Amino acid sequence: MADHTNPILVIAEKEIGDTWRDRFVLIVTLFLVTAAMTALVVGAIALKTDVTTYNAARAALLALGKSAAVIAKPEFYPLKLLRGFVEHVEIIGAVIGILIGYRAAANERGRQTLALIMTRPVGRIQFLLGKIAGALALIFIGLTGTFLLAGASVSLLGGVVLSLNDVLRLIIVDLLATAYALIFFLIGFMAALWAKKLPNALLVAFTVWLTVVLIAPQIGDTMDPDNQVAGGVFAQLHVTKAQEHAILASFSTYETLRNGIEIISPTKHFERLTFAILGIKNIYTGKALSPILIEKTGDIIWLISVIGVLLLVLLSRPLDPNRLSKE
Amino acid sequence: MMTTSPSPARIVLRHSLGTVVREQTVAIIAALFVALIFVSAFLGWSATSTVDAIYKSAAVYLTKQGMAVPPNPLLAASPLYLLRNMATYVSLIGSLAGIVIGYQLIASDRKAGVMPLIGTRPVERRAYALGKTAALVSILCGLVAFAALVSVATFFILPGFHLSAHDWVKLFGFYAVSGLYMLVFGLLGLTFGALSRSETVGLLIPITAWLSFTFILPQLTSNINPVASLNPVTALTAPPSSTFFQLTGLLLGPVSLAEAYRTLAAQLLDMLPPGFADRAAISPWATLLMALVLLALAARSALSRMDMTRGDYNG
Repeated sequence: MADHTNPILVIAEKEIGDTWRDRFVLIVTLFLVTAAMTALVVGAIALKTDVTTYNAARAALLALGKSAAVIAKPEFYPLKLLRGFVEHVEIIGAVIGILIGYRAAANERGRQTLALIMTRPVGRIQFLLGKIAGALALIFIGLTGTFLLAGASVSLLGGVVLSLNDVLRLIIVDLLATAYALIFFLIGFMAALWAKKLPNALLVAFTVWLTVVLIAPQIGDTMDPDNQVAGGVFAQLHVTKAQEHAILASFSTYETLRNGIEIISPTKHFERLTFAILGIKNIYTGKALSPILIEKTGDIIWLISVIGVLLLVLLSRPLDPNRLSKE
Repeated sequence: MMTTSPSPARIVLRHSLGTVVREQTVAIIAALFVALIFVSAFLGWSATSTVDAIYKSAAVYLTKQGMAVPPNPLLAASPLYLLRNMATYVSLIGSLAGIVIGYQLIASDRKAGVMPLIGTRPVERRAYALGKTAALVSILCGLVAFAALVSVATFFILPGFHLSAHDWVKLFGFYAVSGLYMLVFGLLGLTFGALSRSETVGLLIPITAWLSFTFILPQLTSNINPVASLNPVTALTAPPSSTFFQLTGLLLGPVSLAEAYRTLAAQLLDMLPPGFADRAAISPWATLLMALVLLALAARSALSRMDMTRGDYNG
C-alpha cells in the first residue's frame, strides 16, 4: 500500500495500476520475452550444432590417425548465450520505455486530468517524480521478470547451474537495462507531454529511437573496415591481429570518426558494458567483474549523464495544463 | 465547352496528397529516409575507399615482411556494392516510412472527422480505397525515385565506379523491389489505420509486425542476431548447418519478408556471398509478391468496412 500522505508514491502507485489495467505494456513486454527466448533457444541450438560438427570432425581426424588438436574445440560460456537476448533488450526494451513514457503523459491528456491534479496539493516536481517512480518500477519489474526467465533458460539449455558470480553479472545487467530503458521512457514522456498532437509525439519518439538505437550504431558498425568484406578484410588478407593494429594505426582519423558516431548512441554504451560484463565479447570472457567495471566506468557515466540531462530538461520546464488536452 | 469532372478516386488522391505532405510526422520520417540515402552513398564511398587504402597499406606491409600479397578483395566486387547500405536503410527506414505514410493517409481523415461527410457524398468505398492506395503508391514512388536519382548521381560523380548496361538494369531493378517492399508496409499501415479503434494501437500493431519481420524471423531462420541484421554483409551470413535451421528456413522462410527483401537486394546489387543458398520453400520474389497481394486485399477489405458514420479513433 502506498503512503497516502506522500503524493509521489500515490501518483507512482496509480501509474502502475493504470498500466497494469491497460495491458498494452504487458503485451509489449511479452513480445520482448518471446523475442528474447527465441534468441536464447536459437543461440543454444547453434552452439549445439558447433559441438556436433566439432565432435564429428574430431572423430574423423582420430579415425585417420591424425591429431585432433588442429581444430579448435567450441568453448561453452553460458552467459555468452545471452548475446541475442541483450540485443533484443537494446531494441525492444527501448520501445517499452517509450511506450510507458508515452502512455504516462497520454493518459493525462486523453482524460484531461492534469488540470484537476494541479488543483490538489501536489507540486509539479512531485507529479513528475511520481510518474518517473511508477515508470521505473514498471520497467524494473518487466525487465527483471525477463532476466529471471533468461537466467533460468540459460541454466536449462546449457545444463549448468549459474554461479553466484554469473547471477551477480545478470543483476548488474538488469539494473543497467532498467537505466537504459529509463532514457527512452523520458524521451517518450517528454514528447507526449509537450507535443501539440499526441500521435506525433509517438512518432517523434520513434524517430529518436530509430536514430540512436538503430542508425548510429549501424553506421559505426558498417564503417568498420573489417565488416566490409564477407569473412572480414583482415582475415582475407591473412593478417594477424598485431599486424592489423599496425596497419590500422595509419587510419586513426577514420577510426575516431567511426567511434564518434557510435558513442553518440546510449545503445552502444549499453552494449559495450553488457557485452563486457557478460563476457560476450571474447576479450572479456572469463575476466573478473571488478576490472571490467573499472574499465567500463566511462560507459556507466555516459548512461547516467544522459539520464541526468533528460531529467534536468524535464524538471526545469513548466507544466502546461492547457496543453494537456487531446488533439 | 464541356469539362469532365475528375473521378472520385482522383479527387481522393489529390486531396490525400495535399493533406499528407503537410503532416509533420510524414515530413520527419521522409526527411530521415532522404538523409539516409545521402549517408548511404557517402558510407559506401568512404568505406570502400578505406578498405582499398587498407589493402594498399597491407600490401606494402606484407611485401616488407616477405609474405605473399593476396588479391584485393574489392577487385572482385561489383560497383553496385557501393550501395550495400541502401538495402539496410530501405528495410529499416523505408518500411517504417511506408507504415507512417499509409497510416496517416487514413488517420488524417478519421481525426479530421470527415468520414461521416464522405459517407453522405456519392463516393463509392471502392473509389475511396483506390484513391488512398494511389496516394500511397505516388508518395512511395516519389521517395524511391529520389533515392534512385541520388544513386545515379553518385555513380556519375564518383570516379572509378563504372556501370555496364546490365548494372544499370540491376540498379533500377533494386529500386523497383525496394518500392514494392515499402509498399507492403505502407499497405499494412493503411489497413491498421482503417481497422483500429485506437489511434495508438493502429500505429503500434504495424510497428510490432515490422519488428518481428526485421529482427525475430531472421534469427529463427538463419541465426542472425538483431544487430547483425543491420549490417549488409553480416546479414547474409549462412546459418549453421543443422536440421533445425533447415526446417525453420524451409517453413518460415516464405514468410520471412525482410530476409526475402535482403536476398533480392543482394542479388540485384551483386552482394550475395559465394555459395549462398536460399533455403526457403519458395523464391524471395514469390514471398514479396504474395505479401503485396495479401496486404492489398487486406487494405481493400479494411477500407471497405470502415464505419462512415463515426470516423475518429476512441483514444
